[in-house]
Amino acid sequence: MSHMNNNKLTKHYWVWPIAWYLFLGGLGGGILCLSGLFDLIFRHGIIEAGSEPLAQVGAIFALPVFIGVALLGIGSFLLVFELGQPLVFLRVFISRTAIIKYGACLLVLAMGFGFIYFLFFLPPEWNLFYYDWLWLRDVCCVLMMVFGVGIMVYTGVLLSSMKAKPFWNTPALPVLFTVSALSTASALMALAAGLWPATTFALPHQVEVQHFLVEQLHVIDSVLVIVEIIVLIVYVLMMYGAGNVTARTVAIKWLRGAFAVPFWGGMILVGLFVPFVSYLTGGIMATAVAPVLVLATGLLLRFLIVYSDARRPIPGEERYWSRIPKGDEEFLSAWK
Amino acid sequence: MTRYAMVMDQRRCIGCQSCTVACRTWNDLPDDIIYNPVVSEGVQGVFPDVHATFTPLICMHCDNPPCTICCPCKASQQDEDGIVWVDEAKCMACKVCVNSCPYGARDLSSYDRPLHSFVRKCNFCKDRVREGEQPYCVMTCHQKARIFGDLDDPQSEVSKLVNSLKVERIFPELNTDPHVFYIPDLGGHR
Repeated sequence: MSHMNNNKLTKHYWVWPIAWYLFLGGLGGGILCLSGLFDLIFRHGIIEAGSEPLAQVGAIFALPVFIGVALLGIGSFLLVFELGQPLVFLRVFISRTAIIKYGACLLVLAMGFGFIYFLFFLPPEWNLFYYDWLWLRDVCCVLMMVFGVGIMVYTGVLLSSMKAKPFWNTPALPVLFTVSALSTASALMALAAGLWPATTFALPHQVEVQHFLVEQLHVIDSVLVIVEIIVLIVYVLMMYGAGNVTARTVAIKWLRGAFAVPFWGGMILVGLFVPFVSYLTGGIMATAVAPVLVLATGLLLRFLIVYSDARRPIPGEERYWSRIPKGDEEFLSAWK
Repeated sequence: MTRYAMVMDQRRCIGCQSCTVACRTWNDLPDDIIYNPVVSEGVQGVFPDVHATFTPLICMHCDNPPCTICCPCKASQQDEDGIVWVDEAKCMACKVCVNSCPYGARDLSSYDRPLHSFVRKCNFCKDRVREGEQPYCVMTCHQKARIFGDLDDPQSEVSKLVNSLKVERIFPELNTDPHVFYIPDLGGHR
């Protein structure tokens, strides 16, 4: 019989699909939120000189929105995949109180309105009947922002609502997740902005406006990266100084234990500080390297958080679970 | 109203783990799931002044259970008599309740058939209890260290113990209002 982890204190009930989902959900929500915001700032996404349209701003972020919707879809699939009974996933909508239920509703709504929004940027020569329903596009922008923010925040609230997990149970976790989601979202938007279908809008200043917006995204992301460094270090130090012994134990793991190399080296230095410097220097480092590093950091953060799920032991519990036999499963079931 | 509760008399518990074995037998638990371990920090003190305290654990059947409110499928639920249980037919095994329980009272069953596992926990042997019998772990305890009954009935043994002795609960500061009460060993003195 295979080896079983019977130690309830060290067993992880949520593993890699949840970490990937928290990353993809935050990323997708952030993209929808920022894209909707950009389109509303440049009302109806068109920069005009007089009555002459110069560039389609909305179209520049159409591909990122499509990617965002796709990532939310992949994230939702991972959530379902992770269930013990994936085929009955619709049961998630039954309760009125569960945070997971609200998260699932937010995911469905965000994906729906994001997809409707994307339909506005199919090639103009197709002359689809809804192209001039600008009110619908505005509605989509507002709802994408609302549901996008909802997803970014709720992924943190889901974990921080658990008083059984001292390292998660703090209102700082939704803040950290939201900052990380916005930062990864602007990184991916900077990478994907301006590709198809924006190129089908042959307006005179389309490319210049696209370069301008990508530079704005780099500025936004460099600010967010600094904020993320601060929030992250404060978060871990706050847990290090916490009265809760379990939270402190996990924080020590981050600061100088098993997670120290990915935390200090992977996230703070390579994943956040290097991108910040790259955004300042510009060039290929800013356009290609920095966004990829920021995205990788977002994923690493979710993994480290998900695996920091230590529960406070009841006195004597650690001794008990460490003594449960690990190699005697065959013996235990031989009488059956 | 009936409010079921359990008292663990740590003065009487000798850590024999009979309740653990009895529970596994009655509930036909798989190898990797234990509802009611008996834990201990081992022998404490300096010889010859030594003692050992045993803490029998079980689901606390909290009055404010964090595991029911977070369940998206209403599978994890609490009945009027305070018993917290999982309806296996409604569970989709999202494990949010397993993570939300501060007492580690829940566990995930392994797959009994493809794509089918569910969350399991102690349900105070509700089928036995509602027919007037005792939970299996209580019936098994030869030390009478586990005492079960209706906390709202002034004549019940649990009610008398909880109201007359200084009892403790595990992690009361988490505001879960656990309904398993512990009478500390050595009268609470070391």
